[in-house]
Amino acid sequence: MLILTRKPGESLYIGDNVKVTIVEMKGNQIRVGVDAPSTLRIYREEIYLQILEENKSAAEGISDAALTELSGGWKGVSRGSGQKASGGQSEGAINAKRSDVLLKRKSAGTKQ
Amino acid sequence: MSNETETQGEQLTFASARFGEFTVPAETVIEIPSGIIGFPNSTRFVMLEHKPPFSWLHAIDDPNLAFVVVDGFEFGQQFDVKPPIGDVDTDLKAEDEYAILIVVTVRPDPRLTTANLKAPVFVNMRNRKGVQTIIDDQRYSTRFPLWSEAASEENGDADQGQIADTSTQDAVENAKR
Repeated sequence: MLILTRKPGESLYIGDNVKVTIVEMKGNQIRVGVDAPSTLRIYREEIYLQILEENKSAAEGISDAALTELSGGWKGVSRGSGQKASGGQSEGAINAKRSDVLLKRKSAGTKQ
Repeated sequence: MSNETETQGEQLTFASARFGEFTVPAETVIEIPSGIIGFPNSTRFVMLEHKPPFSWLHAIDDPNLAFVVVDGFEFGQQFDVKPPIGDVDTDLKAEDEYAILIVVTVRPDPRLTTANLKAPVFVNMRNRKGVQTIIDDQRYSTRFPLWSEAASEENGDADQGQIADTSTQDAVENAKR
Protein backbone atom coordinates (compact mmCIF):
# COMPACT_ATOMS: atom_id res chain seq x y z
CA MET A 1 0.00 0.00 0.00
CA LEU A 2 1.23 3.45 -0.87
CA ILE A 3 1.39 5.59 2.25
CA LEU A 4 1.64 9.36 2.10
CA THR A 5 1.74 11.97 4.82
CA ARG A 6 -0.57 14.97 4.43
CA LYS A 7 -1.55 17.94 6.56
CA PRO A 8 -5.07 19.29 6.92
CA GLY A 9 -5.90 21.26 3.81
CA GLU A 10 -3.55 19.26 1.66
CA SER A 11 -4.75 16.97 -1.10
CA LEU A 12 -3.68 14.21 -3.35
CA TYR A 13 -4.81 13.16 -6.78
CA ILE A 14 -5.73 9.67 -7.84
CA GLY A 15 -5.45 9.81 -11.59
CA ASP A 16 -6.56 13.03 -13.23
CA ASN A 17 -10.11 13.17 -11.97
CA VAL A 18 -10.11 12.22 -8.34
CA LYS A 19 -8.89 14.61 -5.68
CA VAL A 20 -8.81 13.58 -2.05
CA THR A 21 -8.45 16.35 0.52
CA ILE A 22 -7.75 16.07 4.23
CA VAL A 23 -10.31 18.56 5.44
CA GLU A 24 -9.90 18.48 9.17
CA MET A 25 -8.62 16.45 12.11
CA LYS A 26 -10.77 16.26 15.21
CA GLY A 27 -9.53 14.01 17.96
CA ASN A 28 -9.30 10.56 16.46
CA GLN A 29 -11.42 11.46 13.47
CA ILE A 30 -10.29 12.74 10.14
CA ARG A 31 -12.63 14.39 7.71
CA VAL A 32 -11.82 13.58 4.15
CA GLY A 33 -13.19 15.32 1.08
CA VAL A 34 -13.39 13.60 -2.27
CA ASP A 35 -13.79 15.47 -5.53
CA ALA A 36 -14.62 12.90 -8.15
CA PRO A 37 -16.85 12.48 -11.18
CA SER A 38 -20.35 11.56 -10.05
CA THR A 39 -20.03 8.37 -12.08
CA LEU A 40 -17.58 7.07 -9.53
CA ARG A 41 -19.22 5.36 -6.58
CA ILE A 42 -17.71 6.12 -3.21
CA TYR A 43 -18.65 4.11 -0.16
CA ARG A 44 -17.54 3.89 3.43
CA GLU A 45 -15.83 0.55 3.67
CA GLU A 46 -17.94 -0.87 6.47
CA ILE A 47 -21.16 -0.04 4.68
CA TYR A 48 -19.93 -1.42 1.40
CA LEU A 49 -18.89 -4.65 3.10
CA GLN A 50 -22.20 -4.84 4.89
CA ILE A 51 -24.09 -4.63 1.61
CA LEU A 52 -21.80 -7.18 0.05
CA GLU A 53 -22.35 -9.61 2.90
CA GLU A 54 -26.08 -9.07 2.89
CA ASN A 55 -26.25 -9.70 -0.85
CA LYS A 56 -24.34 -12.91 -0.37
CA SER A 57 -26.67 -14.02 2.40
CA ALA A 58 -29.62 -13.17 0.22
CA ALA A 59 -28.27 -15.23 -2.67
CA GLU A 60 -27.59 -18.43 -0.84
CA GLY A 61 -29.47 -21.20 0.82
CA ILE A 62 -33.06 -20.17 0.35
CA SER A 63 -35.12 -23.20 1.31
CA ASP A 64 -38.35 -23.92 -0.49
CA ALA A 65 -40.09 -24.33 2.83
CA ALA A 66 -39.06 -20.89 3.97
CA LEU A 67 -40.21 -19.44 0.67
CA THR A 68 -43.61 -21.01 0.93
CA GLU A 69 -44.17 -19.58 4.36
CA LEU A 70 -42.69 -16.29 3.36
CA SER A 71 -45.52 -15.49 1.03
CA GLY A 72 -48.13 -16.60 3.53
CA GLY A 73 -46.88 -14.23 6.18
CA TRP A 74 -46.68 -11.00 4.26
CA LYS A 75 -48.94 -8.48 5.89
CA GLY A 76 -48.45 -5.80 3.38
CA VAL A 77 -47.59 -2.24 4.06
CA SER A 78 -49.03 0.91 2.63
CA ARG A 79 -48.83 0.61 -1.07
CA GLY A 80 -47.09 3.27 -3.07
CA SER A 81 -48.52 3.98 -6.45
CA GLY A 82 -45.27 3.88 -8.36
CA GLN A 83 -43.13 6.81 -9.24
CA LYS A 84 -41.44 8.75 -11.88
CA ALA A 85 -37.86 9.74 -11.45
CA SER A 86 -38.96 13.34 -11.20
CA GLY A 87 -40.88 12.45 -8.08
CA GLY A 88 -44.29 12.01 -9.65
CA GLN A 89 -46.28 8.81 -9.34
CA SER A 90 -47.21 6.02 -11.73
CA GLU A 91 -47.51 2.26 -11.39
CA GLY A 92 -44.28 0.40 -11.98
CA ALA A 93 -43.99 -0.97 -15.47
CA ILE A 94 -42.22 -4.03 -14.18
CA ASN A 95 -45.57 -5.35 -13.06
CA ALA A 96 -46.67 -5.58 -16.65
CA LYS A 97 -43.65 -7.67 -17.47
CA ARG A 98 -44.15 -9.93 -14.55
CA SER A 99 -47.27 -11.56 -15.91
CA ASP A 100 -45.41 -12.12 -19.14
CA VAL A 101 -42.68 -13.92 -17.29
CA LEU A 102 -45.16 -15.72 -15.09
CA LEU A 103 -46.67 -17.41 -18.12
CA LYS A 104 -43.26 -18.58 -19.17
CA ARG A 105 -42.61 -19.95 -15.79
CA LYS A 106 -45.79 -21.92 -15.80
CA SER A 107 -44.90 -23.43 -19.10
CA ALA A 108 -41.54 -24.41 -17.66
CA GLY A 109 -43.45 -26.73 -15.40
CA THR A 110 -42.89 -25.12 -12.02
CA LYS A 111 -45.47 -24.74 -9.32
CA GLN A 112 -47.80 -21.84 -8.81
CA MET B 1 -33.72 -4.38 -33.24
CA SER B 2 -34.80 -7.17 -35.59
CA ASN B 3 -37.15 -6.88 -38.51
CA GLU B 4 -39.29 -9.75 -37.39
CA THR B 5 -42.87 -9.22 -36.42
CA GLU B 6 -43.49 -8.17 -32.87
CA THR B 7 -45.38 -11.32 -32.00
CA GLN B 8 -42.27 -13.32 -32.71
CA GLY B 9 -39.85 -11.34 -30.61
CA GLU B 10 -36.53 -12.84 -29.81
CA GLN B 11 -36.64 -15.48 -27.10
CA LEU B 12 -33.95 -16.23 -24.62
CA THR B 13 -33.46 -19.58 -22.95
CA PHE B 14 -31.47 -19.98 -19.78
CA ALA B 15 -31.00 -22.43 -16.97
CA SER B 16 -32.02 -22.01 -13.36
CA ALA B 17 -30.82 -24.34 -10.65
CA ARG B 18 -34.06 -23.75 -8.78
CA PHE B 19 -36.62 -23.73 -11.55
CA GLY B 20 -35.12 -25.60 -14.46
CA GLU B 21 -35.05 -24.18 -17.92
CA PHE B 22 -36.73 -20.94 -18.82
CA THR B 23 -37.57 -19.20 -22.02
CA VAL B 24 -38.37 -15.54 -21.74
CA PRO B 25 -38.84 -12.74 -24.25
CA ALA B 26 -35.48 -11.08 -24.72
CA GLU B 27 -36.98 -7.66 -24.12
CA THR B 28 -37.75 -8.56 -20.52
CA VAL B 29 -34.06 -8.81 -19.66
CA ILE B 30 -32.80 -6.35 -17.09
CA GLU B 31 -29.19 -5.41 -17.52
CA ILE B 32 -27.27 -4.42 -14.40
CA PRO B 33 -23.90 -3.38 -15.83
CA SER B 34 -22.11 -3.21 -12.47
CA GLY B 35 -23.85 -6.31 -11.17
CA ILE B 36 -25.30 -6.80 -7.73
CA ILE B 37 -22.63 -5.76 -5.24
CA GLY B 38 -20.45 -8.80 -4.58
CA PHE B 39 -21.48 -10.45 -7.86
CA PRO B 40 -19.90 -8.31 -10.56
CA ASN B 41 -19.82 -11.06 -13.17
CA SER B 42 -23.56 -11.45 -13.57
CA THR B 43 -25.05 -8.50 -15.36
CA ARG B 44 -28.17 -9.85 -17.07
CA PHE B 45 -31.27 -10.75 -15.11
CA VAL B 46 -34.93 -11.47 -15.55
CA MET B 47 -37.80 -11.06 -13.14
CA LEU B 48 -39.70 -14.21 -12.32
CA GLU B 49 -42.89 -14.23 -10.40
CA HIS B 50 -43.02 -15.61 -6.88
CA LYS B 51 -46.10 -15.11 -4.76
CA PRO B 52 -46.83 -11.41 -4.58
CA PRO B 53 -45.33 -9.18 -3.48
CA PHE B 54 -42.19 -11.25 -3.91
CA SER B 55 -40.41 -11.95 -7.16
CA TRP B 56 -37.13 -13.38 -8.23
CA LEU B 57 -34.35 -11.44 -9.81
CA HIS B 58 -32.66 -14.30 -11.59
CA ALA B 59 -29.31 -14.15 -13.33
CA ILE B 60 -29.32 -15.39 -16.89
CA ASP B 61 -25.67 -16.30 -17.00
CA ASP B 62 -25.46 -18.10 -13.67
CA PRO B 63 -28.06 -20.78 -12.93
CA ASN B 64 -27.28 -20.54 -9.21
CA LEU B 65 -27.64 -16.81 -8.77
CA ALA B 66 -31.09 -15.59 -7.86
CA PHE B 67 -32.40 -13.07 -5.38
CA VAL B 68 -35.81 -12.80 -3.83
CA VAL B 69 -36.89 -9.21 -4.29
CA VAL B 70 -39.84 -7.14 -3.28
CA ASP B 71 -41.16 -4.07 -5.03
CA GLY B 72 -39.77 -1.02 -3.26
CA PHE B 73 -43.04 0.81 -3.75
CA GLU B 74 -44.68 -1.71 -1.42
CA PHE B 75 -43.01 0.16 1.42
CA GLY B 76 -44.89 3.31 0.57
CA GLN B 77 -43.92 6.69 1.92
CA GLN B 78 -41.80 5.28 4.72
CA PHE B 79 -39.25 4.30 2.11
CA ASP B 80 -38.54 7.65 0.62
CA VAL B 81 -35.45 7.35 -1.53
CA LYS B 82 -34.34 9.47 -4.41
CA PRO B 83 -33.55 7.67 -7.65
CA PRO B 84 -29.97 8.04 -8.88
CA ILE B 85 -30.65 10.55 -11.60
CA GLY B 86 -27.58 10.93 -13.77
CA ASP B 87 -26.30 7.47 -12.96
CA VAL B 88 -24.19 6.20 -15.85
CA ASP B 89 -25.17 2.55 -15.68
CA THR B 90 -28.86 3.25 -16.09
CA ASP B 91 -28.75 6.63 -17.87
CA LEU B 92 -31.61 7.56 -15.55
CA LYS B 93 -33.15 10.90 -16.39
CA ALA B 94 -35.74 12.84 -14.47
CA GLU B 95 -38.51 11.98 -16.94
CA ASP B 96 -37.82 8.23 -16.90
CA GLU B 97 -40.01 5.72 -15.17
CA TYR B 98 -38.19 3.45 -12.83
CA ALA B 99 -38.79 0.47 -10.64
CA ILE B 100 -37.24 -0.24 -7.26
CA LEU B 101 -36.30 -3.78 -6.29
CA ILE B 102 -35.45 -4.50 -2.70
CA VAL B 103 -33.28 -7.54 -2.11
CA VAL B 104 -34.75 -9.85 0.50
CA THR B 105 -32.78 -12.16 2.75
CA VAL B 106 -34.91 -15.20 3.45
CA ARG B 107 -34.00 -16.86 6.74
CA PRO B 108 -34.70 -20.46 7.65
CA ASP B 109 -37.38 -19.07 9.94
CA PRO B 110 -39.26 -16.90 7.46
CA ARG B 111 -40.52 -14.61 10.20
CA LEU B 112 -36.95 -13.39 10.51
CA THR B 113 -36.79 -12.49 6.86
CA THR B 114 -35.37 -9.07 6.20
CA ALA B 115 -35.25 -6.59 3.37
CA ASN B 116 -32.16 -4.63 2.43
CA LEU B 117 -33.52 -1.11 2.29
CA LYS B 118 -29.98 0.24 2.40
CA ALA B 119 -29.17 -1.02 -1.08
CA PRO B 120 -32.14 -0.84 -3.44
CA VAL B 121 -31.84 -1.76 -7.09
CA PHE B 122 -33.19 0.95 -9.36
CA VAL B 123 -34.27 -0.09 -12.84
CA ASN B 124 -34.78 2.45 -15.56
CA MET B 125 -37.87 1.22 -17.40
CA ARG B 126 -36.90 3.04 -20.59
CA ASN B 127 -33.85 0.87 -21.22
CA ARG B 128 -34.31 -1.82 -18.55
CA LYS B 129 -30.94 -1.06 -17.09
CA GLY B 130 -30.43 -1.28 -13.38
CA VAL B 131 -28.01 -0.38 -10.63
CA GLN B 132 -27.74 -1.33 -6.99
CA THR B 133 -27.19 1.83 -5.02
CA ILE B 134 -26.24 2.39 -1.40
CA ILE B 135 -28.48 4.86 0.37
CA ASP B 136 -26.49 7.06 2.72
CA ASP B 137 -29.27 7.45 5.23
CA GLN B 138 -29.28 5.85 8.64
CA ARG B 139 -33.04 5.36 8.60
CA TYR B 140 -32.57 2.48 6.20
CA SER B 141 -31.15 -0.79 7.39
CA THR B 142 -29.66 -3.67 5.45
CA ARG B 143 -31.88 -5.86 7.59
CA PHE B 144 -35.28 -4.29 7.79
CA PRO B 145 -37.54 -6.92 9.40
CA LEU B 146 -40.56 -7.69 7.27
CA TRP B 147 -42.42 -9.16 10.21
CA SER B 148 -41.66 -6.71 12.91
CA GLU B 149 -43.20 -8.31 15.96
CA ALA B 150 -41.70 -11.75 15.28
CA ALA B 151 -38.38 -10.18 14.60
CA SER B 152 -38.28 -8.05 17.69
CA GLU B 153 -39.17 -11.03 19.84
CA GLU B 154 -36.46 -13.32 18.69
CA ASN B 155 -33.85 -11.23 17.09
CA GLY B 156 -34.41 -7.91 18.65
CA ASP B 157 -31.00 -6.39 18.99
CA ALA B 158 -28.03 -5.22 17.03
CA ASP B 159 -29.05 -6.64 13.68
CA GLN B 160 -32.41 -5.04 13.51
CA GLY B 161 -32.33 -1.36 13.69
CA GLN B 162 -29.69 1.07 12.93
CA ILE B 163 -26.71 0.90 10.79
CA ALA B 164 -23.81 2.56 12.49
CA ASP B 165 -23.65 5.32 9.99
CA THR B 166 -23.88 8.42 12.03
CA SER B 167 -22.67 10.91 9.53
CA THR B 168 -25.72 12.83 8.51
CA GLN B 169 -23.51 15.76 7.84
CA ASP B 170 -21.46 13.71 5.44
CA ALA B 171 -24.60 12.71 3.63
CA VAL B 172 -25.58 16.31 3.18
CA GLU B 173 -22.24 17.12 1.74
CA ASN B 174 -22.42 14.15 -0.58
CA ALA B 175 -25.67 15.44 -1.93
CA LYS B 176 -23.90 18.52 -3.20
CA ARG B 177 -21.37 16.57 -5.11
